[in-house]
Amino acid sequence: MTPRDCMNKICYGILIAMPLLLSGCYESPDVTFHEPGVYKGKIDKHELSQDERNEVLRKRIMAVQTDR
Amino acid sequence: MARMKFLCDTERCIECNGCVTACKNEHQVPWGVNRRRVVTIDDGEPGERSISVACMHCSDAPCAAVCPVDCFYTTEEGVVLHDKDICIGCGYCFYACPFGAPQYPQSGLFGSRGKMDKCTFCAGGPEPDHSLEEVEKYGRNRLAEGKLPLCAEVCATKALLAGDGDKVADIYRERVTRREGRPNTWGWNTAYKD
Repeated sequence: MTPRDCMNKICYGILIAMPLLLSGCYESPDVTFHEPGVYKGKIDKHELSQDERNEVLRKRIMAVQTDR
Repeated sequence: MARMKFLCDTERCIECNGCVTACKNEHQVPWGVNRRRVVTIDDGEPGERSISVACMHCSDAPCAAVCPVDCFYTTEEGVVLHDKDICIGCGYCFYACPFGAPQYPQSGLFGSRGKMDKCTFCAGGPEPDHSLEEVEKYGRNRLAEGKLPLCAEVCATKALLAGDGDKVADIYRERVTRREGRPNTWGWNTAYKD
């Protein structure tokens, strides 16, 4: 192998490696913006409505938290 | 609208730690984390008082205000909960909380912190009610079963009250009236007694 062939192989290698290396510098333009102070998690759903839950818990506190 | 609150009657608390044990057992709380603790003031001296402390489910919760990923939410009953899938274990809420409620299980070597854990008022988390995920991440959801927090329900002397703030206040007011005076556990005379 002549020095010229060797140089050509190195050049081809660089040409293949450069796009791969540069692809790591890609930055996605799709940025997710979040409003501060706004809950980001899952919504807590309940089987009973708020009024039904309040009624059940009101009965419970009168049954177990008041003095004997 | 009901707002769920805890109240510990220091005149009745006998430091039995029943609330602490009940909480740990009910929710299978990880080793090293105590969602509830009993603090004793002037231990062994005349006028000794004990108070059971956990997350107080603040109306304007400082933990939620400082959370960089906004993982806290307040339910319609006024219970402050958080989503462990979002929590990054930064520890900001621990420094913001005046009650030391947020705690972190050790998740790896060199004391690295896991997801924050705190009292849920036995209301579980954002996962579906009674799901295995909810139980594993947050513990049992007693509120969805129509029950109140176990710590308060097991309290032998009924020192620890939990439930709708108005009802809790009524119960406590009635006791104070019967005793003919408020306890002097806190107030200016306690904070600046020396």
